[in-house]
Amino acid sequence: MDVAVSAPSLQLALVGVPNCGKTALFNRLTGSRQKVANYPGVTVERREGERVAADGRTLRVLDLPGTYSLKPTTLDEAITRDVLLGRVANAPAPGLVICVVDAVHLPIGLRLALEVKRLGRPMVLALNRMDVARRRGVKIDIARLSAELGVPVLPTIAVKRGGADALIEAIEPARWPGERNVIAGEWRDPGTEDAEQTQADLRGVLAAIGYTPPADNHWASRVDALLLHPLGGTVVLSVVMFLIFQAVFSWATPPMDGIKASMAALGGWVSGHMSAGPLSSLLVDGVIAGAGAVLVFLPQIIILFFFILVLEDSGYLPRAAYLLDRLMGWVGLSGRAFIPLLSSHACAIPGIMATRTIPSWRDRLTTIMVAPLMTCSARLPVYGLVIAAFIPRKDVGPFNLQGLVLFSLYAAGIISSFIVAFVLKQFAGQRRYSPLMLELPDFQWPNAANLLLGLWERVRIFVTRVGGIILALMIVLWFLAAYPAPPPDATGPAIQYSFAGHLGALLQKIFAPIGFNWQISIALVPGLAAREVAVGALGTVYAMSASGDNLSAQLEPVIATGWSLATACSLLAWYVFAPQCLSTLAVVKRETNSWRYPIIMAGYLFALAYLAAFVTYRVVATWS
Amino acid sequence: MLQYLLVALIVAAAMAFSAWKLMPARWRMRSLLAVDAWAAKHPALLSWRERSLKPRITRAAGSGCDGCASHDSPVHRSPR
Repeated sequence: MDVAVSAPSLQLALVGVPNCGKTALFNRLTGSRQKVANYPGVTVERREGERVAADGRTLRVLDLPGTYSLKPTTLDEAITRDVLLGRVANAPAPGLVICVVDAVHLPIGLRLALEVKRLGRPMVLALNRMDVARRRGVKIDIARLSAELGVPVLPTIAVKRGGADALIEAIEPARWPGERNVIAGEWRDPGTEDAEQTQADLRGVLAAIGYTPPADNHWASRVDALLLHPLGGTVVLSVVMFLIFQAVFSWATPPMDGIKASMAALGGWVSGHMSAGPLSSLLVDGVIAGAGAVLVFLPQIIILFFFILVLEDSGYLPRAAYLLDRLMGWVGLSGRAFIPLLSSHACAIPGIMATRTIPSWRDRLTTIMVAPLMTCSARLPVYGLVIAAFIPRKDVGPFNLQGLVLFSLYAAGIISSFIVAFVLKQFAGQRRYSPLMLELPDFQWPNAANLLLGLWERVRIFVTRVGGIILALMIVLWFLAAYPAPPPDATGPAIQYSFAGHLGALLQKIFAPIGFNWQISIALVPGLAAREVAVGALGTVYAMSASGDNLSAQLEPVIATGWSLATACSLLAWYVFAPQCLSTLAVVKRETNSWRYPIIMAGYLFALAYLAAFVTYRVVATWS
Repeated sequence: MLQYLLVALIVAAAMAFSAWKLMPARWRMRSLLAVDAWAAKHPALLSWRERSLKPRITRAAGSGCDGCASHDSPVHRSPR
């Protein structure tokens, strides 16, 4: 008999305040044996993993959303409370609670631990980041802490290999007693008196264990004085962001040229080794010219995310959030909107889902409505293509002109989101500002392993999209652009007589006032599935228009000669507001539980995109 | 002729894949559950169901959408 199957499993739940190292510990305990799903009926992410103990038992580990208290203010925090109380369907009450406390910031984590302990469930306390705490001079009498709390206390360093061994040794062989005095049925959320009592208990425990807080880091304080200064901090933030966009263009050029050359060589090789026919056309004009044109932008995406991950891992991003809090409050956004809006620069979907941490529904809705205005990474290939084709590769003073234009496009997205939020605020009426409360993490050198894993994740996502949905759509578009075949007496390119050609001619009537030709009009349609598909679609459409010439991955020179500057600028303006992809609309529908908001969102973004493109086209056409 | 046949197969597969990826998550979930219920009645499909179908259902039930890869795998990067 299989021991692993027959042995009883133990349900563990990791609970702790945000940024205490709970997820790192979860990864340490479960490795790659994880799955992500949702809690029933809500859209809060449920992260569960497994660990097989030495005796064959399966330990099921649940990583609960971070919370400061069992009195919830957001949906995520309510889920944490309900899982601990055993109130959530399909989520059995934990047999053992692992309360993760950051040893550097002991009081805030210990306060939550005292609340959790009152539930009466078996519990161990993982005292995480003990290495940093010791370096910072924090003194904790661990044995006394264990005696005061009445639970085992185990030091851990979750980010280091072997850093959770003591915890594992404690939880694996143990037969934890059954639930004692679990008060789920009669639970009431802590009130003011409870909070005062917890605070008093906390003071008592801290005094008993001889706790000394971490020594002030004078160097970090001086850096913070600059980074958090309203003027100095804003200047630093602007310079940092500006340099990132400079690097995106300056550093990415050699690898992008290499990928372009490879794609052109591949297209030439396929053409040379296959007899002319539909299969050859599909591979060269559909797959290589379409998906290859998108793949070219991988280096830019890697460079952009490298910098974002460095800023995140070094502890700078929460400081940027603090700095922008006042500005966001002024335009009608909650301070808690910063992280969702920042996430939206990768993709609007996780950004929209991250709005669950915003307690006020109106604040949350405003953030959801403006999230697609942040420039997601899918727009980078479109910007990259048009900028490379129309903006000369030259320096303006110390700056790269192409990087300067890219920076201004990102800035345009952010500024427009603030304007839209301000307008929405007028419709929604004045409301109480919900301030951002966060702990500023210590500065640290970015962890190389974390950076590589984060970059690998982005590369995997991008390449999977290119090899998956983008490739599939390019094949479908190739079919629409190749069939039906032109009549024998046709004079123009074959694509003009195809399904795509007819569609393009129809759409051009709508888009002609903003300077879009029929090829751009066709590309906008599959671009609704994912924005970067528009680049691949342009590659395919132009390759098909070129009557057999090998244009794979050579889109740039073709549009540089075929489009006017006004058309190029109009397309950039269109994509600043570009109506979001269908997946984003679906997520908005799910998060708001209504079709009303995705329809409003699509409507206002289409209108803004059309208006911005129209004005840009007319102004540039007049001046150029 | 063979080229036309191959192209027809590739295009049909691409259309089906695109439709699957772009269909609403709820429809996709319902389809997967229907296939799962059917597979449950056939013991021969047990291992396929466990190995291939269950992970897809889990992913479809997760956050985000199947068209966006952001949430179909665990994020290993750890906060401090």
